[in-house]
Amino acid sequence: MDILYLLIPLSAVLVLGVIGLFAWALNAGQFDDIEQEGQRVLDADELSS
Amino acid sequence: MPKALSALPQPAAAVIDDPREFAAFTRLLPEAANGDRLAESSLCLGGLHCASCAMVIETALREVPGVVDASVNAAARLARVRWDAARTRPSALVQAVERAGYTAVPDTLAEARAQRASERRTMLWRLFVAAFCSMQIMMMATPSYVSAPGELAPDLAQLLAWGAWLVTLPVLLFSAAPFFRGAWSALARGRVGMDVPVALGIAVAFVASTGAAFDPGGRFGAAVYFDSLAMFVTFLLAGRALEMRARHRAAARLEAGAARLPDGVQRRTADGAFETVSPRRLAPGDVVRVPLGQAFAADGLLIEGRTAADEALLSGESRPVPKVAGDALVAGSVNLGGPVLMRVERVGADTRYEAIVALLREAMAQRPALSRIADRVAAPFLVGVLLLAGVAAAVWSVVDPARAVWVAVAMLVVTCPCALSLAVPAALLSAAGALARAGVLLRRVDALEALARVDHVFVDKTGTLTEPRLSCRPVAADDAGWLREVAASLAAWSAHPLARAFGPAVAPIEWRAVGERVGAGIEGRDADGRVWRLGAADWAGAGGPGPGEAAVWLGRDGTRLAAFESAEQARPDSVAALRALALDGLRLTLLSGDRAEAARRVGAALGIDDCQGGLRPEDKLAAIRAAQARGERVAMVGDGVNDAPVLAQADVAFALADGAAVARAQADVVLLGNSLQGVVAARAMARRTLRVIRQNIAWALLYNLVSVPLAFAGLLPPWAAGLGMATSSLLVVLNSLRLAR
Repeated sequence: MDILYLLIPLSAVLVLGVIGLFAWALNAGQFDDIEQEGQRVLDADELSS
Repeated sequence: MPKALSALPQPAAAVIDDPREFAAFTRLLPEAANGDRLAESSLCLGGLHCASCAMVIETALREVPGVVDASVNAAARLARVRWDAARTRPSALVQAVERAGYTAVPDTLAEARAQRASERRTMLWRLFVAAFCSMQIMMMATPSYVSAPGELAPDLAQLLAWGAWLVTLPVLLFSAAPFFRGAWSALARGRVGMDVPVALGIAVAFVASTGAAFDPGGRFGAAVYFDSLAMFVTFLLAGRALEMRARHRAAARLEAGAARLPDGVQRRTADGAFETVSPRRLAPGDVVRVPLGQAFAADGLLIEGRTAADEALLSGESRPVPKVAGDALVAGSVNLGGPVLMRVERVGADTRYEAIVALLREAMAQRPALSRIADRVAAPFLVGVLLLAGVAAAVWSVVDPARAVWVAVAMLVVTCPCALSLAVPAALLSAAGALARAGVLLRRVDALEALARVDHVFVDKTGTLTEPRLSCRPVAADDAGWLREVAASLAAWSAHPLARAFGPAVAPIEWRAVGERVGAGIEGRDADGRVWRLGAADWAGAGGPGPGEAAVWLGRDGTRLAAFESAEQARPDSVAALRALALDGLRLTLLSGDRAEAARRVGAALGIDDCQGGLRPEDKLAAIRAAQARGERVAMVGDGVNDAPVLAQADVAFALADGAAVARAQADVVLLGNSLQGVVAARAMARRTLRVIRQNIAWALLYNLVSVPLAFAGLLPPWAAGLGMATSSLLVVLNSLRLAR
């Protein structure tokens, strides 16, 4: 069970990392308008490069 | 489309395009690399019924020459458009949307809405961090819960405790920050606020658990309670988030309905005619005409006419302040006495009005006054709790020192003053939001409590129950069309509902020395020096046939020339609404400035027994005072300018949305639907709200009476304390949210 000495601190750091990732996503406006961006894919006129 | 916004009139294209006007919904972006000056506008859209409508609007906006980018948020019904200031104008954007089959209105509330959105985002983010970390801490705490003694190696147990400590840090430093801030600001004011026991409990729990994690043999024992800590922070934040949501919804509706500076003012041009411009276009030295009932658009000097102004925004009192030529007029105050000419002295940010608006905005950003009152009520309770927790710690440090800290923490956390102080505000705010959705705006939220106890309703006839429609009947063989033009031109100076029924004036008649007498009529001198009067029969003059049925008379130099008959129509839903009110046990009275016969006729059609006609404003006021002296609680529904002082006297005042701005300023409740059904809905909601408030208070008392002794006796572990407190305040908030259905 020695691996636990690695895993427990790792999971704690991972939690902090996930929170940081979500913070970035929120501040970058990823969650602003969820439905509209999905609809944009269906818009036939726009050609995405 | 929010109902409140669709009830507002569309501003004219000339006003939208005015660069000084569109600062409200547009901001100029810094110059781009290629030298383009771009602007970003926010528009409120109407007529959307599905997500693909958003695509249609986006395409329509993008096709307007000069538009760089457009994005539509279908859920919020907002369009954000980036356009080149050199190539297009906001009215072109609005027209493009209208051509596509939808409506667009400038989003003048964008700033306040953005502020609320950022507040909401921060709260949700805090809640997410707390909940997510709680989950992880729970995971770290599970081994010590489920293992039998001796199964878990002590160094692994300590490692788990350290890991839990690390993950608790974000919760403590970020998610729990509002509690610490609130507690600090309350203590700095020398008062014990709701946040103080919570902050104290969290701090003590963290310190004790940290001690136990890093020094298991020390003073704090070996048990760590990071999971309880994180859990009760999560639950508390959830309660706060719900309360904030209710508050924001109510604020959004109230803001949309509040009367502010007029959309257009009549400025005198060089050749003496009047043009309608946006108030932001005014410059010092301009002369503007302000009709009765409109708000003054700038600080200035009264140069012609006599009037009284309602300066409630400065003094807090609605008593009219008399003004004569040479007196100073304040922007934002309402013209009560008569139409006047004003010379503008200070505009825009220099006016006192803007300073007050800034203060109001600041006040709305803080917790509403109701919560502050609730804090005051809870203060003695909280002091008692703190003392009791200290006593418990002292007692237990003698009996069983290892548990002293945890018993104290449990006591601090379990008592829920939140339930007591949330009981009233949560219910009132939820009810206000529900009513706002139904088109009834509460300007004073505690009017609900007064409304539930009302037993007598006075209703004004003109404009409230009826819709006036005027037809012209000349006395002699004069040209009825021309007389109607003259009357319409003179009526443009007045904001009385009967005057508005004349419609827009096309004749370019210049009036001088215009005066309006409330309850009688309006008079003016034309270019030839003759005095025309429009109003009641004896005001307009003598001569000609008898008064008869006509509502409004036009006279010149003391001789009656034409009569305008108002074919009044009862508003269709008034009958049903009045019957519902009568069934509810309310006494109904019709008050009217019109003749007694007309009042009786309308009253009979609507089913009101008590009709009083021929009343001057003083008589209406006396009628209400008499009812109040009899011990009755009075509600008044009004519309016209005559009603303003009467509305102030009633216990609860209703005003229709398209009534003169004066009445709206005095009213406690604004009916956006222009229908008496709003009164019925408001009263039903008021009754339900009182019931919910009583339930909330009863629950809060019961909970505290049970849980505090349990915690004192040491029977409540901290996690149960956190759960109990959070559940209790959540229950109160959820019970209040029932009103929103």
